[in-house]
Amino acid sequence: MSIHRSVAIRTAVGLGAALSLTLLTACGGGGSGKGSATDGKIEGEIKFQTWNLRANFKDYFEGVIKDFEKANPGAKVKWVDQPADNYADKLSADATAGTLPDVVNLSPDLAYPLAKAGTLLNLDKDKVAAKFKPEYLDGAWHGFDMPGLDGSYAFPWYLNTGPLFYNKAMFKDAGLDADKAPKTFDELFADAAQLGQKGKATLAQPPTVEDFGRYGVEIMSKDGTKFTFNDAKGVEFLTKYQTMFKEGGLHKQALTLTAETAGQKFLQQEVAMNPGSAHDLETFKKSAPSLYSSLGITDVPTNTGKQNMYLQGLSVNSGSKNTATALAFAHFVTDQKNQEDFGHKVAVFPSTKGSLDKEYWTKSDGSEEGKIRVASAKMLPTAVNYTPVLFSDEMKTILRNEIAKCLQGKESSKEALDSAAAQMTKLIQQK
Amino acid sequence: MSASPSTVAVQGAASRPRAVAPGRRAGRAAGRTHRAFSPWLFLAPGLLITLAFNLYPFLATVWKSFTDARTLTPGTFVGLDNFTALLDDDQFWVALRNSALYVVLVVPCLVFLPLLLALLVQRHIPGIAFFRSAYYTPVVASVVVVALMWVWMLDDRGFINGVLRMVGVDPVPFLSNQWLLLLSSMALTVWKGLGYYMIIYLAALANVPRELHEAAEVDGAGPIRRFVSITMPSVRSTMVLVGALSSVSAFKVFTEVFMIAGPTGGPGGADTTLVMLIQRAGTGLQGRTGYASAMSIVLFLLTLVLMLLVLRADRKDKD
Repeated sequence: MSIHRSVAIRTAVGLGAALSLTLLTACGGGGSGKGSATDGKIEGEIKFQTWNLRANFKDYFEGVIKDFEKANPGAKVKWVDQPADNYADKLSADATAGTLPDVVNLSPDLAYPLAKAGTLLNLDKDKVAAKFKPEYLDGAWHGFDMPGLDGSYAFPWYLNTGPLFYNKAMFKDAGLDADKAPKTFDELFADAAQLGQKGKATLAQPPTVEDFGRYGVEIMSKDGTKFTFNDAKGVEFLTKYQTMFKEGGLHKQALTLTAETAGQKFLQQEVAMNPGSAHDLETFKKSAPSLYSSLGITDVPTNTGKQNMYLQGLSVNSGSKNTATALAFAHFVTDQKNQEDFGHKVAVFPSTKGSLDKEYWTKSDGSEEGKIRVASAKMLPTAVNYTPVLFSDEMKTILRNEIAKCLQGKESSKEALDSAAAQMTKLIQQK
Repeated sequence: MSASPSTVAVQGAASRPRAVAPGRRAGRAAGRTHRAFSPWLFLAPGLLITLAFNLYPFLATVWKSFTDARTLTPGTFVGLDNFTALLDDDQFWVALRNSALYVVLVVPCLVFLPLLLALLVQRHIPGIAFFRSAYYTPVVASVVVVALMWVWMLDDRGFINGVLRMVGVDPVPFLSNQWLLLLSSMALTVWKGLGYYMIIYLAALANVPRELHEAAEVDGAGPIRRFVSITMPSVRSTMVLVGALSSVSAFKVFTEVFMIAGPTGGPGGADTTLVMLIQRAGTGLQGRTGYASAMSIVLFLLTLVLMLLVLRADRKDKD
């Protein structure tokens, strides 16, 4: 073999290897490898990811990280924060590439596909993590139970229920008692009819899956194999919404508005009611003083007596190289002290046992924020997460589109819900 | 079997006594190797990038379209199941109709209106640079920003309905009627694309011989006659190019409809386009990537057929 031929072969092999490497890199590593033991030494670097929290709580998180690193010399936490939009896409890209952070902020519906893919640590099955279970409210811990996966996959973090804001001036103009906000759906529909007669819309969005839950509709079968919201109660609920839409109770653009643009319609005083959170008060104060001066705050109507509970948690990547550190940090952030501290900084509620009995959450200081805080805290012990963990974004769009067809009169309530339930059940059965 | 001329030449050379030193011979062989490999070495970076970021994803999409893959699972081979499922998917037909409507209504506008605009701004008169820049501004503006501006204008309480109210006309439901929503998105696409294609036409118009216009003018041809008989034939190739480019863009439309009709694709999903449907099915943690890949392949084939039709029509025209 001549020297040049050998050079040519080496070059070709080198190029081939480089190409293979490039393609392999492009493919990503796939799933995570097996992580280290959870009872190991708390040391090494971990990556901690939050969901849109840096802008307002940078100091708080930097403080918590500093405390953890001080208590565990040798441990290092690298904090990353992702924007609110497209968080699920970011998670899926990380999970596919095998670069999911060691500790990651998730809601139950986002945790489900990751847990199913084996990327999250089952806390009930882990002897170290399971010891922490008694520290949390039962409902919150079980909020991260995943159907068919036998266990809970995140430390419960903060909880929220969220008030309903209403425009007292619009209520008065329509001849309604501004101090008597609707508590049940029947009262809501009655008020909407009266507001509609005066040419005023009540809400800017069609019903969501949580609304069906609050009306008392069973959303899924107990075994989690099919959607059942197309029962008689579900049909009755949607029919009432259909009537409300015809009578002008929903904003004309309600079928195309997002949650954010619906909020703007309330801000512009085009609709009388809108669900929100205590964060919104500041926005009203700054951007719509006239609305703020006639702002009413009430509970979201419910026929079950139970409010919807929004839950956030911290999951541990099962493929982490420093699982013990990741687990310790996830517990540290969600322990009683840190959760209560966080609850003092923002209008969310701790999920640790005994926290909600403290004065801060039981006695109002007289401010609007204080009233909301105490009222919401009262609802939490009985609140339910009405959104099934199996409910994906695609299902959300299917349900919303079928409801829109019904409200437009293109389909009856029964047809719309049957179609939505069939499509959504097909999606979960395909898994 | 006859030897090829080169083989004969080599054999002939071998039979003659060698006049060159072995070192020089090796140098010549090295030169030949370099000549053979050099182009490939220059091409290698581009080829690798193309293979990794274009060809590989394309082939992966083709493969995935025959599987039941999801975002976090590779899936198994399911044959043509995804393609047959598409035929039963009502939303797919709605999306296909909307994408086809987009092509049919938007492309003619993007072929003719920028040409008329280019004719207007090709004149060398004082201040014309301002108008050229003004018409080009939407091209460089972010489509999201532009779409938000349109939403504010088209809203029930927006600028256009405000003007209509002032003159006693009832507000038009631009953002709640499924057809008006689609037309509004199309208007936005046309408005944003005008400047881009105008520049292409300006370059083509600069090459139209001025003498032809002068001769036609002497013969008494008016502006319309000159446009039909001289300008249009001269820029025909450019019109085909603009038609092809805008057809592909129209078939791939996403942002405009997403921003104006909302993430659900209008009321009840009535304004969904193919790319919106692909995005909805294939993204997120529970995305059906196999099914979305099948839709992408269908979109690719439709675009390919459309391009071939345009090119064929152009070739027929030239013949």
